[in-house]
Amino acid sequence: MPDTRPKIVGFCCERHGMDAAVLAARSGKQFEASVRLVQVPCTGRVDGMHILRALEDGADAVFVLGCLEKNCYYDTGSIEGRKRVGYVKQMLSELGLEKERVEMFNAASSNSWVFPEIVAKMVEVVKKFGPIGGEKR
Amino acid sequence: MIVAKRKPLNEIAEMLAPYKKVTVIGCRSCVAICLAGGEKEVKMLVSALKVKNKRDGRKQHIEGTVVERQCEKEWVQEIEAQILDSDVTLSMACSLGAQTIGDMYPKHLTFPGLNTGMFGVPEEQGVWSEKCVGCGNCIIHTTGGICPIARCAKSMLNGPCGGSANRKCEVNLEVDCAWAAIYDRLKLQNRLDLIESVTPAKDWSTSHSGGRRVFEREDAKLTPHQKKGKGVT
Amino acid sequence: MNAKIQVLLCKCCSEVPELLNIAKLEKLASESGNVLSVMTLDALCDGKELAMVVAEARIKEIDRAVVLACQKKDVSPALIKAYKRVGVNEHLVQIVNIREEVVLPHAAEQERAQAKAQTMLLSALARSRLLQPLERSSEDMKTRNVVIVGGGVAGQAAAKEAAKYGVHTIILEKTGKSVTAPGVVMPHATLIGGKGYGGNFELKIRVGESLEDLGAASVVIASGGGWSTLKGALAKAVRGAMPLYEFHQKLHAEQTSAGTVVFMDTPDPAGKTLKVQDYAWDETLETAIELKRKHPETAVYVIFQEMRASGLSELAYKEAAELGVKFVRYDRSATPKVDPKDPTTLSVKDLTQGDELKIRLGTMVFASIPASPDNQIIAEALRIPMSVDGAIRRGSIQRGPVSTPKPGVFVCGSALFPKSREVAAAEGQAAGKLAGEFAARGSIEFGGIVAQVTQEKCSACLTCVRTCPYEAPFIGTASKAEIRVQACQGCGMCVGICPSKAIELHNYTDDQIMTESKTLLGGDF
Repeated sequence: MPDTRPKIVGFCCERHGMDAAVLAARSGKQFEASVRLVQVPCTGRVDGMHILRALEDGADAVFVLGCLEKNCYYDTGSIEGRKRVGYVKQMLSELGLEKERVEMFNAASSNSWVFPEIVAKMVEVVKKFGPIGGEKR
Repeated sequence: MIVAKRKPLNEIAEMLAPYKKVTVIGCRSCVAICLAGGEKEVKMLVSALKVKNKRDGRKQHIEGTVVERQCEKEWVQEIEAQILDSDVTLSMACSLGAQTIGDMYPKHLTFPGLNTGMFGVPEEQGVWSEKCVGCGNCIIHTTGGICPIARCAKSMLNGPCGGSANRKCEVNLEVDCAWAAIYDRLKLQNRLDLIESVTPAKDWSTSHSGGRRVFEREDAKLTPHQKKGKGVT
Repeated sequence: MNAKIQVLLCKCCSEVPELLNIAKLEKLASESGNVLSVMTLDALCDGKELAMVVAEARIKEIDRAVVLACQKKDVSPALIKAYKRVGVNEHLVQIVNIREEVVLPHAAEQERAQAKAQTMLLSALARSRLLQPLERSSEDMKTRNVVIVGGGVAGQAAAKEAAKYGVHTIILEKTGKSVTAPGVVMPHATLIGGKGYGGNFELKIRVGESLEDLGAASVVIASGGGWSTLKGALAKAVRGAMPLYEFHQKLHAEQTSAGTVVFMDTPDPAGKTLKVQDYAWDETLETAIELKRKHPETAVYVIFQEMRASGLSELAYKEAAELGVKFVRYDRSATPKVDPKDPTTLSVKDLTQGDELKIRLGTMVFASIPASPDNQIIAEALRIPMSVDGAIRRGSIQRGPVSTPKPGVFVCGSALFPKSREVAAAEGQAAGKLAGEFAARGSIEFGGIVAQVTQEKCSACLTCVRTCPYEAPFIGTASKAEIRVQACQGCGMCVGICPSKAIELHNYTDDQIMTESKTLLGGDF
């Protein structure tokens, strides 16, 4: 049976990013089961390469979740994260690929509602644009 | 240093579309520093093209590598096998690197992945501005250290044009008028007398307008005796 | 690959088996390469099973672990300590959050949750095989000095508190005023430069005419605000304008002149360059009351946009009104002004009454001050960030309300933002505590998850040097980048940005991250 589930990878910082995901779960929130999370110390660690490689390896959409910019644990990390994501979006645009497939988000560890909203947004993106193409899905 | 910018990806993808095996070669020198063609940009480009191929259903083998300085034959020679094994090489160095590969392997196809560019300085992280056009006869000692050939839109030699207003250039209002800057600099150095002396019309023969230039150092050149036995000419 | 992995599956007190098939996970683990031990536990966080775990680890000569449990912070401290006893490096213990990433949020999707859990296990194993053991190092602090920039309210409070830790406090006071504090007070002393990192700073100070070197374990910035500065269009236009601080001092010294006194919340009512600051109301009310008590015959006005007296200072509002202080509320559409031809008469439209008042001035006193110009000098000396309005900027609030982003450097009082004396003193105490405790440690620990440069790949482009908030990368004697490990916080910003991929972050290398990502994408969805 063809697998039409969205394949979504999220790079979460181990501070507010992961905390927001954990709090959402602990608050009983449910979200799409095809999300796969990769933890990094800080979204400033995320390289455009990681995002593109994830798309190459089968992800339909990739998000990066870090601390709120004014409150990043490493001061400027999530600002850097945003810039990396922005550059990849630009690259996708130039190639006629949908830049919405890659997105940057910010959260505070106390925001229990943010993580499911992020997942829902990315699921919508994949629903709208489908898999990147070529593979039997 | 030389500052270059990656070509729009759709242009690159189109260039490479007809070929089955592509190798992308970057450089660790100028283009790495201006964030256009270093190892990171190469890896990202390769990955992005693969994603594009997924979209288009194109079967294409793409790989990437980096050399220390692509305009030096010795370094290019180190990856000769990878170059010759491909149908086309995409150079992510400045055009000097792309041409070096082209000159070394004339039967092989080598395409430029970047648009070169200019001689620029990093004004701040991420911003490079042109300061020199390589005219071959530097006169900045007479202009307080600021080059009017590069920084003045009209390359004026004896003060600003009539369009200079509020210290800005009439060609582009976001650009400072070079001669306003020169005036300020000479004033700071107490050398305003330099502005009053007339600089005659420029002899452009030392610049690119005089044709392709070659610089030589006789004392550095290898004599025929020295060259014997060395593989690379 | 000589990895010897132990896999622990925590049931989280039977929460996990309610959704997932533990037996399948156990089987998958035991059939995976390099896995020498698989143990299922009831409640890892409880601690009772740790002895069993390490006993098995010791027998099988385990060198690393993959633990399927809940969040790292809840599980790992005790586990890591236990594993250390049998020689398992702390950085080789990987916690996979099955509880919050799978069991809790996918309660209605048993099959998919199982697939996800299995994929996460395989991904963690793949990453585990690539990890390296990492050691931390330590370095002695060369001094126990806590250097406090500024001998005002906050600085004095900081010194007093820090001294309790048995450290040596040194206050640098830029004026010659007398400062009551323990430790050393250096008058006419300013901070003009500093190298090093938390624990071992090498500061450069100017004392009078001479320059001196001063070592410090930690630094407290208590340099205050621009209390004597009046910035704002209205203050410029008015004859007889004065900052609140100055008026307060004059009032104490019985040096105020006769005539109406008007207190205003800000010298910039249009709010373009200066916001109204929190302390403005409390201090204004206090001063107005004091003035009215001393000189009941003086007409006193308080002109404001909003009255935000904090806490019990609300009572001061009441008291002031009862003493005859006139409160005039304005809004930004019609800000108070003076006629340039007559700078001693203030016109203001009172929103409450609707009247246009014309007040003949004696003195006009402004609260809300700009940041001290000293901040720029201090920020440059220590290379710490400033906020857009010129204050010393605090780091992430998670690091505490008085910490700058630079470890070992704290900021308090009006250098952070203008505030009342009481609050400044409280912040000074907080900063002093932190700085004192830090210096009292006597040594710093560093290393582990830090960045490292492969110099042959480095293009010396300076991108890492410019990006790092902690000054960890620098161009060393080989004209290539190097990482000052003592300062590295392990965020990986330099790693992600290096155009030549010359820097890697230990245990978060590109290979490790992308292997994890690829394996996660490889399973069933």
